[in-house]
Amino acid sequence: MSAATTTAPTTPEPREPSALKARLGLTNGWAAWLRARGVYLALIVLVAYNAFFTFNFLTLATIQLLFAQLPPVIIVSLGMALVIGTGGVDLSVGAIMAIASAVLARFVLAPGDGGLGASIGVAMLFAVVAGVLVGAFNGTVVAVARVQPIVATLGMLVAGRGIALVITGGALIELFVPFFRTVRLGKLLGVPYVMWVAAILAVAAAVLVRRSAFGYRLLAIGGNRRASVLAGLPVQRTLITVYAISGGLAAVAGVIATARLRASDPSFTGLLIELTAITAVVVGGGALAGGQVRILGTVVGAVFIQLLETTLVSHNVPDSGARIVEALIIIAAIYVQRSRSSS
Amino acid sequence: MVHFRKSSLSAAALSASALLLMAACSTGQTAGSGAPASSAAAEPSASVSQSLGADQNGVPAAITAAGGTEKLTTAVPEGVAAEYGPICKGSDLGIGKIDFTTDTIGWAQSEKEANPFRIASTKSQVDAAKAKGWKLLTTNAQSNVQQENSDIKGMIDKGAKAIIFSPINSTGLGDAISYAKEKKVAMIPVDRNITGVKGCETVGPQLGSDFVEQGRRAADAMIKATGGNAKLAILLGASGVNVTDDRTAGFLDQLKAKNATGIEVVFQQTADFTREKGKSVTETLLRAHPDVNAIYAENDEMGLGALAALDDAGKAGTDSVHIVSIDGTKGAVQAIVEGNFDAVIESNPAYGPSAQAALDAYVNGDGAPAVTITTDNQYDLSNAQQALDSGAAY
Repeated sequence: MSAATTTAPTTPEPREPSALKARLGLTNGWAAWLRARGVYLALIVLVAYNAFFTFNFLTLATIQLLFAQLPPVIIVSLGMALVIGTGGVDLSVGAIMAIASAVLARFVLAPGDGGLGASIGVAMLFAVVAGVLVGAFNGTVVAVARVQPIVATLGMLVAGRGIALVITGGALIELFVPFFRTVRLGKLLGVPYVMWVAAILAVAAAVLVRRSAFGYRLLAIGGNRRASVLAGLPVQRTLITVYAISGGLAAVAGVIATARLRASDPSFTGLLIELTAITAVVVGGGALAGGQVRILGTVVGAVFIQLLETTLVSHNVPDSGARIVEALIIIAAIYVQRSRSSS
Repeated sequence: MVHFRKSSLSAAALSASALLLMAACSTGQTAGSGAPASSAAAEPSASVSQSLGADQNGVPAAITAAGGTEKLTTAVPEGVAAEYGPICKGSDLGIGKIDFTTDTIGWAQSEKEANPFRIASTKSQVDAAKAKGWKLLTTNAQSNVQQENSDIKGMIDKGAKAIIFSPINSTGLGDAISYAKEKKVAMIPVDRNITGVKGCETVGPQLGSDFVEQGRRAADAMIKATGGNAKLAILLGASGVNVTDDRTAGFLDQLKAKNATGIEVVFQQTADFTREKGKSVTETLLRAHPDVNAIYAENDEMGLGALAALDDAGKAGTDSVHIVSIDGTKGAVQAIVEGNFDAVIESNPAYGPSAQAALDAYVNGDGAPAVTITTDNQYDLSNAQQALDSGAAY
């Protein structure tokens, strides 16, 4: 369970003797357990509620639909988890999704329609490259120019959507790409391809954080940037890479969103997804101050938020009520975070 | 071993994040930039069901609020559904005549031209001015009301003798309006009327669509398409926006008025006027309410999103699920031709010729009515192909 969960090395604390408690992550008491793993409990409750009260919920088609809707949120949240792990935040992920979508449209459109007539594979590649480049730019502004991440990426949030609008000429572009149908509807072992992609990326992110030197550097910077500099870690290079990864992941999400919509919509693709992603990281037990990355928690957080929205829509809860419910959950998650700082 | 973990969270970072996360809950208010004829709408404040229901002397309250006092019985020009007096003249506000061969006028667009409605609306103004050889300045406020104020004042400072404008919202343009009044510049609001700002008195003649009527016509089209029997889902526009309320109220009122009890509304959920939300909400809807066989989408984009979801589920086509939407964009009209939509009620963005004619009559001629309601077309299989060929669908 905790295989994909990593915290920064902490000073050794007195160990509880019980191996079981350690396995359950209970070494720091119930409050800490709730903080770190409460989202699993919340998800179980939500699934149980749906199983009993949502018509048609426990059917293969409904689960498959959820798995088709989830990947963009999960993938963006993975990048967000890494960035938050460094003590930063990436508000530009939604704008990067829009840029990737716009680049994809420009490449894949026929020359007669103002595009480059590239194959879908090439178009997708350049869309992701565009995301990586924008992310690397963010990282450079944060790491080299030392602009606060919230400010640097806020700038890109605004500018990025402008760039996407310029690339598409301001309007929604409909795309008739046969491959998109495969992306939307294709399944392996009953699970949509896009969910496999999200799962593979999640495992890769977990390995990156837990098993690689890069992952330890990332956590070290999030834990204490100054100490990392003094310890001789390549702080700038690491930060630029983290933001580039976040941008690249957002671009993958943008490509999937475009395939789902069968259109590039620069005004709305990925709009406000940064907030969903931050929420996923926070309810997944991640610390906004950095120094900690919980990949599994983040994925479960993303699933929880998406399922919550689906549940509210399924039960025809009025928009106003739905927002209040979502706000309460976010406040609760932040409150749990806060209690750590005061303890 | 270095102690990596921070002992406490930065208070500033926490509160900033909290604010951001709170904003996550306001997803419904994001249609400002792309929703056709939507966002911070500026319909008269009177609630819709009352406004068109409770007429005073044959004048709906909404029209009264916009300065109309009586319905004119004279023949209306083409493209106009109704005109409401009094007839106002520029000279009443001390506005002098305009020589359009030498003087400049201005067009202030409210939202960025990223959706078909806004693109067509600006194009209509520019084309109409070009056809007549008028000199036209154009601005775009990008959904920012302060920007629109300064856009309008800026054009007046550059010498514009009249401003045709699409107001972002009802209350925020007082600054520009009083500046125009002071400078004796004619003001013509189009596509939405402004609450508490009366045609003839504070501004010149107003021209707009009737969003409630659009909802009613959508209901008529839905009754016709389904034969009066359906399990119906409504994809609402952005919450807290009058266009949404008007199109909902008109639709539900008309179902009641026509006694269409066979049409059961089983689902109403906002999809924010966007294609993406239209798709995801419809996907969820199809799982929770598989018996739904009719969808009323309050704009074309949500309708097209619903169609994408239906297509993925193998339920596209009006023999499986009926769709009626409002706007009249090319994509939706094309969907009629392809047998996926039943009908589309137009929300006509082409105010160029009518607004410029009203301006001419207002300053140079016999005056223009305080409030003009323009005609919206309606498309179904009988005229959809023709609308695409002629370019009437925008």
